[in-house]
Amino acid sequence: MGSKAERRIGLLFVLPAIVLVGLFRIFPLAWGFVLSFTNSNGFGKSAFVGIDNYVAVANDPAFRDSIENTLILIATLPIWVMLPLLLAILIHQGVPGGKIFRAVYFFPAVLSTVIIGSIFNVVLRFDGSLNAFLKAFGLIPVDWLGNGATALGSLIAVQLWATFGMSLLIFMAGLSTVSKELIEAARLDGAKPVQIWVHVIIPALRPIIEFVAVVTTIGVLTSMFGLIYVLTAGGPGTATTLPEFLIWLEQGKMNQPGYAAAISMVLFVVMAGLAYLQIRIMSRNANL
Amino acid sequence: MSILAKREKRLLWIACVPMTLLALSCVYPVFFSLNNALKTNKGYILDRFGLVTQPTFDNFVTAWQRAHLSDYFVNSVITTGGAVLLLLVVSSLAGFALAMLRFPFRRFLFMVILASLMIPVQVVLVPFYRTIIALDLVNTRIGLIISYTAFFLPFSVYMMTAFYSRLPRELVEAARMDGATILQIWWNVMLPMGKPALITLGILNTLYCWNDVLISLLVLQKERTVMVGIAALRGEYTTNVPLLTAGIVLAAAPIVIIYVVFQRQIVNGIAVGAVKG
Repeated sequence: MGSKAERRIGLLFVLPAIVLVGLFRIFPLAWGFVLSFTNSNGFGKSAFVGIDNYVAVANDPAFRDSIENTLILIATLPIWVMLPLLLAILIHQGVPGGKIFRAVYFFPAVLSTVIIGSIFNVVLRFDGSLNAFLKAFGLIPVDWLGNGATALGSLIAVQLWATFGMSLLIFMAGLSTVSKELIEAARLDGAKPVQIWVHVIIPALRPIIEFVAVVTTIGVLTSMFGLIYVLTAGGPGTATTLPEFLIWLEQGKMNQPGYAAAISMVLFVVMAGLAYLQIRIMSRNANL
Repeated sequence: MSILAKREKRLLWIACVPMTLLALSCVYPVFFSLNNALKTNKGYILDRFGLVTQPTFDNFVTAWQRAHLSDYFVNSVITTGGAVLLLLVVSSLAGFALAMLRFPFRRFLFMVILASLMIPVQVVLVPFYRTIIALDLVNTRIGLIISYTAFFLPFSVYMMTAFYSRLPRELVEAARMDGATILQIWWNVMLPMGKPALITLGILNTLYCWNDVLISLLVLQKERTVMVGIAALRGEYTTNVPLLTAGIVLAAAPIVIIYVVFQRQIVNGIAVGAVKG
């Protein structure tokens, strides 16, 4: 078994990865934790202020709005899961041109959120293509991005459009593991397609459905920055501000790192909870 | 699939209609960008939906030269290339060691790397920024390369470890009998055998790095990467849609080409990473 050289070189080989992750992720996390309890301005003196920053965060209307926006987003989760699931089942059952659909649906997911955001900005802004289209049909134009009532909905729709192909791929991979015999047996018993979906396929896919739900939630919390940055900049007001964008805005002010760090810690707790769920689902999948 | 009832087949054909519309919406942005990038600004304002009649490449030239996209492009190529190379070297070293070598704290170190998946860049934005200032890495390409590597590394290490742990450990023992050093085993045996996983990771990480804005906004504040350049272009030339779409086409072109060429690896890589992962 492991010789002396192997023991030394093994450690040496893992060292670069550990140093990078330690220096740029774990150490900053610990630092942020400490920072969140201080009134540091980052450069001069700093004092321990206990949970003052957290109290201030809890009372911050912008933070509350960002949480509210997040909850609205999460309330739309069923669509994010069911749309790709439905499409995956249809492709799996042999819709004509299924392979092409799969490839095309995934395509937006390889484009950056900045690219997608910039294109949809041209489409959705008040003098944009969608309104020009609506006007041509005699309909009233809507300020999709500038109106507080529609901005978040527009953002959600664009993100959904951009990412459903990714979930679809995951469902397709899951479907390929569902036993064909089981489906065949149900069919021979006279089950209709919809019955097969509801009673055979969806129960078999449950772990994958849970996985997609968790991964989508993580994505909503951490991968919309580019889209918000070019599409709405968090506005109007705070209508499309999510916690990750709020942290960006706060860190830009630079004089209150403790405050920004406190928001970050709240986000971290949520993220860690989700990641724990993800790892649990993944390990259960592995045992199936 | 097996013999479907006639009715089911008809249902699938009906489902094809909305699915085709959705598919058209997915490729429409490419058509939209290309079509408008070839128009003059006046041409766009007069007819934004019409097919371009007199194509001009002026917008591409302007975006490339006057809007400095060429400089941003160079930054993106260097930082993405550097980061992907570093990611592959570091993750294949770590994956090989974690999967095949026996050394103390092996499991613990693997768990540390895996757990750091829980720390997205948003959560450590402020202290991470201070760390790179302290290390004098702000506004340097090497700083961005290292930052990308740090943030995209855990998934790569995980994939490489999973890949190598499916290979027999006898490979290492046999090579050692023949007198190879462990570094030689990594270079001559593990890298060639790890090729499928390395290719997938190479493509995925190229997508992530090239498309990133948040990390590069933070690290490269004076120079820009091409995605930050596009975001700025959108702000500076709000009324010039053809120029913006020309920039978009230039910035997205490498990724679209990679997707078309390596579609299978990307699709399989993501599916495997998700379900088995």
